[in-house]
Amino acid sequence: MPRSVIRVRRRRKAKPLDIARLRESFARVAIHGDELPLFFYSDLFIKHPEVRELFPVSMTTQRAHLVDALVKIVSRVDSVNELAEFLQGLGRDHRKFGAAAGHYDAVGASLLATLEHFSGPAWTPELAADWKAAYELIASVMTEAAREDEQQRPAWWRGTVVAHERRTFDVSVLSVRPEPRMDYLPGQSVAIESPSRPKLWRYYSMASAPRPDGLLEFHIRLIDGGAVSMALTSSMIADTELRLGPPVGALTLSSPAPGRDLLLVAGSTGLAPLKAILEQVAALQEPPRVHLFFGARTADGLYDLDSLEKMNAQCPWLTVTPAVSADPRFAGETGSLPDVVARHGDWSGHDAYLAGPSEMVQEAVARLASAGMAQDQIHIEDFGWSEP
Amino acid sequence: MTTAWFDEESRLTPDELQTMTFPMSRLGRRGYEEEPVREFLGAVRAEFVRLVNERASLWQEVQRLRRRILDGEAGGDQNSVLFGEADAHVHAVRILSTAQVTADRYVADAQAYSSRVTEEARLRRDDIMREAQQHSDMVLEEAHARARDAAVAALNGAAPPQTDHERRAAQAELAYLRTYSDVYRAHLRAYTEGVLHSIEDWERREAASLKEVAHGPDRRSIS
Repeated sequence: MPRSVIRVRRRRKAKPLDIARLRESFARVAIHGDELPLFFYSDLFIKHPEVRELFPVSMTTQRAHLVDALVKIVSRVDSVNELAEFLQGLGRDHRKFGAAAGHYDAVGASLLATLEHFSGPAWTPELAADWKAAYELIASVMTEAAREDEQQRPAWWRGTVVAHERRTFDVSVLSVRPEPRMDYLPGQSVAIESPSRPKLWRYYSMASAPRPDGLLEFHIRLIDGGAVSMALTSSMIADTELRLGPPVGALTLSSPAPGRDLLLVAGSTGLAPLKAILEQVAALQEPPRVHLFFGARTADGLYDLDSLEKMNAQCPWLTVTPAVSADPRFAGETGSLPDVVARHGDWSGHDAYLAGPSEMVQEAVARLASAGMAQDQIHIEDFGWSEP
Repeated sequence: MTTAWFDEESRLTPDELQTMTFPMSRLGRRGYEEEPVREFLGAVRAEFVRLVNERASLWQEVQRLRRRILDGEAGGDQNSVLFGEADAHVHAVRILSTAQVTADRYVADAQAYSSRVTEEARLRRDDIMREAQQHSDMVLEEAHARARDAAVAALNGAAPPQTDHERRAAQAELAYLRTYSDVYRAHLRAYTEGVLHSIEDWERREAASLKEVAHGPDRRSIS
């Protein structure tokens, strides 16, 4: 999907914004910490109670997100292109939350009220006018991106769980039928909301390349106390209607292919996006050589090894190496996944794709980089602005 | 005050700043242990944020009261001096903020509890699996050892004379063991199925109650 051309226009008559003054003003209110978003949301909900429905019960993460976004905006306000890209993403991303154009004015009014409240004697009419102009600019970029997005795809897809299979104690595989059909690139993810956990969205990667029947496969690992993962791994999930956000993520095969062989490193359910990529490679005329490492704590955690070994037997270009980190009795490779990968030699001529627990991914990336792999050869998931 | 939900008793006092002591670091390194110092700095920072917030809201209050007095003097209305509309709004914002933070705490507590329970369940399951694995290893090893002994005995000595009576006794014992293992397996299956049923039943009820509470009839219409 082509990124829309950046269109940030000032209204003709408007005076240029005094960016230094805005920054200084923001720094002054920012020291109030959590009080700032707390005041903002309370002000918004009192003036517009109907907006409360769009948010989850607990607002803790929401408040952190608001401050993060403001910090990002204020710190990038110099580089208009970068800022515009961030805001466009934000605008598109908010469609699935049910944000409508009409909400933007309400949010702007509460934001100004909040800034005024915490600015104290420093709040002047000039500063108020600058903040108002800045917010209008932000809102116009966001709403325009949302409007463009609206022409191309729904805000969210209805996803019916047609099958679920508990592979291990804490990993389930879901098969979901999206309506309408969803186009995506192998390696991408969608945010999922379960009806039993309203307004809580978590990202999951599609675990297969797009299929003729349009079904999506997700690998869900039960996180201790994880509100959404608990709902999704429940045995009552069959026939549930989930909401799916639009496909996002850049953990996708480079195009055109640089012609290098592939190294895939998957920890636990990090396998999902890499399996989708594997299926995409399998459909190529001349697939590159692929080495897939699939790691888990115990042999039991290698929840998809059967199907991988089947592929391994069928595809001469594929090597699958399972590895287990916390069970020395395991018959195959043992040790931490980055260690196992490093033991298997020189990967500097490969393109690497990694997914899994973030410490594992970071460690593996550091090892590959120090072994001479260039930055643009290493691909990891980066949700950027839409990190759940 | 905006800071009403903070625990008043845990606030820092100037006295504490004066009398605060830190443990010295281990031998061979100079200065204080890093962790307690960091912790203390965190507390100082939190207190600082509170003071800044209090000061800001007091300033707001002074401003509003000033305005009220000026307006009140002009209009002569005593009530508007005490209860302006802006006051009421800021008051409402504070009340809602306190309620929201309380709700957030409940959710966080529930989340932490659920996290602890799942973690314990997972660890317990790992223990059970490990024990079962060790046990089965042991049984297997014992069986191997016996088979080895029997094979060695068979090779070394002549086959033990087996009378009809002994054979019948052995067969009877074998039949008994088979029945026993069948019965035992049936018991185990019934038990496991019973547990699964109650888990499913529990999950069904949880789903139903969630539908009622969080997903009532008016939920569907939103967005």
